[in-house]
Amino acid sequence: MLLLLVTQLWVGPVLAGMLHVRVVGSDAQPVPNVVVFVQQNGSANINAGKPAAAIMDQRDKQFAPHILVVQKGAAVSFPNSDVIAHHVYSFSKLNRFILPLYKGTLPDAVVFEHDGIVTLGCNIHDGMLAYIVVVDTDVFAKTNDDGRVELAVDDSASSYEVSIWSPRIRDAKGHLVQTLSGDAPGEMTFALEKKLRPAHIDRLESVAWDEY
Amino acid sequence: MGRILIAVLALAGLPWSAMAADNTSGYEIRYGVEFGFLKTSGYPSWTTGFVGKLRYDNDGAVFNRAFVDYRGRFGDTINVHMVLEGYDDDLGNTIDFTEAYVEWRPMPKSATRYRVKVGAFYPRISLENVDPGWSNRYTQNSSAINTWVAEELRTIGAELTVSRRPESLGGAHAFSASVAAFVANDPAGSLLAWKGWSVHDRQSRFSDKLPLPPLPQIQPGMMFDDQNPYVEPFKEIDGRVGYYVNGEWRFGKKFLLRAMHYDNRADPRAEENGQYAWTTKFEHLGMQTTLPGDIGLIAQWMIGSTVMGPVMNGAHVVDTEYDAQFVLLTRAFKGHRVSARYDHFEITQNDSTEDDNNPEKGHAWTLNYQYSFSDRIGIAAEWLSIKTHRCSWEYYDIPTTATERQVQLTLKLRF
Repeated sequence: MLLLLVTQLWVGPVLAGMLHVRVVGSDAQPVPNVVVFVQQNGSANINAGKPAAAIMDQRDKQFAPHILVVQKGAAVSFPNSDVIAHHVYSFSKLNRFILPLYKGTLPDAVVFEHDGIVTLGCNIHDGMLAYIVVVDTDVFAKTNDDGRVELAVDDSASSYEVSIWSPRIRDAKGHLVQTLSGDAPGEMTFALEKKLRPAHIDRLESVAWDEY
Repeated sequence: MGRILIAVLALAGLPWSAMAADNTSGYEIRYGVEFGFLKTSGYPSWTTGFVGKLRYDNDGAVFNRAFVDYRGRFGDTINVHMVLEGYDDDLGNTIDFTEAYVEWRPMPKSATRYRVKVGAFYPRISLENVDPGWSNRYTQNSSAINTWVAEELRTIGAELTVSRRPESLGGAHAFSASVAAFVANDPAGSLLAWKGWSVHDRQSRFSDKLPLPPLPQIQPGMMFDDQNPYVEPFKEIDGRVGYYVNGEWRFGKKFLLRAMHYDNRADPRAEENGQYAWTTKFEHLGMQTTLPGDIGLIAQWMIGSTVMGPVMNGAHVVDTEYDAQFVLLTRAFKGHRVSARYDHFEITQNDSTEDDNNPEKGHAWTLNYQYSFSDRIGIAAEWLSIKTHRCSWEYYDIPTTATERQVQLTLKLRF
């Protein structure tokens, strides 16, 4: 884990048990679709529940969503909403798999046993790209269009290690961490110093970027 | 018209159960039919054996094309891609192949991807013809560069492409390199030298015999009287292997650059069955980007040479150099699209062979508006104007500078 303290703003104890995280780019604009997850140290009921199942769909020759965050041990199913076939693969070291999605049947869900970032591709459509972020906590979410996210945390924890990740972030290889020690969580801001990489665009554009 | 009907029915007779594909099967099929009305002016078309740069001679109803684009998958890593085009003209079979190849796509084990194509396919040049059936997404008639690619170029051989997935190089940069080795395609260059650049929507198929203008030097008793009055661009003549190398760099969905060196390594003195081999080489540069306001910009540039015959007075008897560029701007709004393209093209000559004066210079403007009612039905309106000065037109007692124009309305059906 890379420890990098960027800017940290304390706005006092706001809502007990709610952690507000904001991500802003070097241009002071909010950064949406950033994965935020929290390790709660010293909490009595860490990761108590069973990891929630999740879905990575294929629609219009794109993965949906582009970034999916799940808890370690979660089962992710891969339906295919397109009328054409897909052939999904991951070559990530710890979560390697291949799923042909043209047999007309929904393949078994993939269980992600290792935390880390899983990069997905389709061997038929080279332009398809998605990430599954597998985290070892049940406290996670993605920032909204305002670059904000609100996370319910256990306020009995002794400290919170808050991580953010996005393929667009160039600071610290995309993975930044801030630790909050102490009583009540509040609001924290990750202010990025480096310009973001271009966003992955999955809407129709004026020019074609992927050949048929 | 009867033949059009046969073509459409024959294409339609292919398994409709597989129409539009479904993910329970290992293949996808796309059908397309394009027809409409046009008004044209200029010289009689090269497609009817004269010199006109455009495809059609007559005003009124016109059948542009019907096509079937098939992609089959065999096992996890083998794809077969075949494209059939149907035309209502006398240049070849009514329906014939434009591309047919097998592609091996091994499952990536790292961020490096390998693809191998074997068969007959378009070299990686056009940035316009990106839709099923090598259809032009932006205009009805392709740029001069890609019109020539459609007329005379097809790689009949094998291509290896190695690419790096973008996220492996910091999220947005993707690189790919291709190398291809090919046989056949030796007459490529005949039409470019002897007819010149064109702007149209006809793709040559494997059986096509494309007419040459009635050039003095291919008449009986003249220097190239072995030449048939037509070109069969995909024939093998000299037994030599040609190659191309292509590199691409892409930065997200913001910028794409591709560069190719192409050399068919043909023997310029070889001739067989009325077809000459032409040594055809070029460099190609293509770029694409999105400007502010989501306006797409595509530009391509090709510069090269094509030569044929023995060397006399320091040059091959037909020794031409060519150079063409275009810039296209396009903007999509929901179902609407507006595109504008400017083409510039030129041919110069190093030989001093009599009665074979091939230099030309010209430019073209193409304006297109299209609207898609659905994925299956679209209409397009296109205005095209091409102005050319070509020296060899003096042989036919016609002005050597002419502007040819075409306006067309096209109905585009896809299944």
